[in-house]
Amino acid sequence: MSWKPRLFLFQCQYCLASSDDQDWVENFLPKNIKLIKTACSGRISPLYILNAVQSGADGVLVSGCLPEKCHFKSGNLGSRRQLDEFARQLEYLGLDKGRIKFAWMNIDERGKIQKEIALFEQEINEIGPQRKFNVLQNTEKAGARS
Amino acid sequence: MTDINEIKKEAARILKEKVVSQVVGFKDGSLPMRAQPAFFSSVTEIKQLTLNGFCVNNQAALLKQFKPDEKIGVICRGCESRAIRALVIEHQLNRENLYLIGVPCEGILDWRTISRAVPYDITAAREESDRLIIQHSDGEAVLQRSEYLHRACLQCKHPNPVGADIVIGELIDEAVIPYVDELAGRTADERYEFFSEEAERCIRCYACREACPMCYCEECFVDHITPRWCESMVSKGGTHAWHIIRAFHQTGRCVSCGACERACPMEIKMEYITDKLNEDMRLDYGFEVGEDETAQPPFATFQLDDKKRFIN
Repeated sequence: MSWKPRLFLFQCQYCLASSDDQDWVENFLPKNIKLIKTACSGRISPLYILNAVQSGADGVLVSGCLPEKCHFKSGNLGSRRQLDEFARQLEYLGLDKGRIKFAWMNIDERGKIQKEIALFEQEINEIGPQRKFNVLQNTEKAGARS
Repeated sequence: MTDINEIKKEAARILKEKVVSQVVGFKDGSLPMRAQPAFFSSVTEIKQLTLNGFCVNNQAALLKQFKPDEKIGVICRGCESRAIRALVIEHQLNRENLYLIGVPCEGILDWRTISRAVPYDITAAREESDRLIIQHSDGEAVLQRSEYLHRACLQCKHPNPVGADIVIGELIDEAVIPYVDELAGRTADERYEFFSEEAERCIRCYACREACPMCYCEECFVDHITPRWCESMVSKGGTHAWHIIRAFHQTGRCVSCGACERACPMEIKMEYITDKLNEDMRLDYGFEVGEDETAQPPFATFQLDDKKRFIN
């Protein structure tokens, strides 16, 4: 059986203006994608992303509203600085480039989320499974000099 | 090297004139090459005051335990003064209630390296300008002081105190030291190997957190029980999460004093992550800790014209 990437989608609940898109994300998402709906992209703590990566995610997609289009005025601007730096930190510590991706949805664009997910899945397929920060795989080094 | 008697004189003066009610400084510890933080509240105690390369703590971490309206005198070196400035910006300390005695710092010594270099039981150690005189069970050894500086102090950019009320001793020339990436030239796999080798030795004692002046949260994310944000065990997931998120919370706030590394019983390297994050902040937002008296840390603020990386 061919390998399918495990993806996590962190979605700001206001970023999909079209109810068809929201309905698709909530009910018809492929089984290998896990949806976590948050109040705003500013609500996404770097710990959420780290927990997703540690629990075996091959890729993490964060979707939020465009700057200046945030429902809460400025939530996405604060999260932009933090999450961008956090993704860079994980890359510095050895996570492959491109495993964490941000998609900013414009309210006018319908059907963008499907395209983004398909594109992201394709990219992750090329990178392959994520084994580094995955805690589901055992290590013998914990707690002592090996 | 600053004359210790000058510092003692100034500390005694502010206690006598009731400028402050206590002075935070160091006194000799019970073991050689160790000094311990001490609180002096009377002039007679001041004779115990000391300041040398074995004073490893960052005193700014101790200031939050005082009452907010109590007047405190602090003997602070470069990193301590920058930490105090950052804490004042974050509304954790009240600058008006602090009297800062600034002392230009010549670097903190790494007592672990010294005890490894001298293969005998060390009974006493003292500094004489650039030499280090170690008395041990088999005689005496003379070491070059500059070779035994702590890693963080070798890369120290600002040894001179900032914003002190009085500076005792001659200021040191602040040479421009470029940022050195410890993991430069390694592939992602090698970087991960290095990081996990370091992080997985962690025994989760949180000495780094207690030693850090910028870790002042009343409840740390690792102590939070409902919901449990990360594993609290000594496991791969738990130690990784602690080291990643601890460093991330220091982004643009870490003063690079190295107190966390000196406090660590497992000798885990930690500063390479915070140094990298601080360098990113400097390149992206032009922010450096302790440089400005009012500038907010980069994650406490935002601008519309930040980098456009997210938008595709």
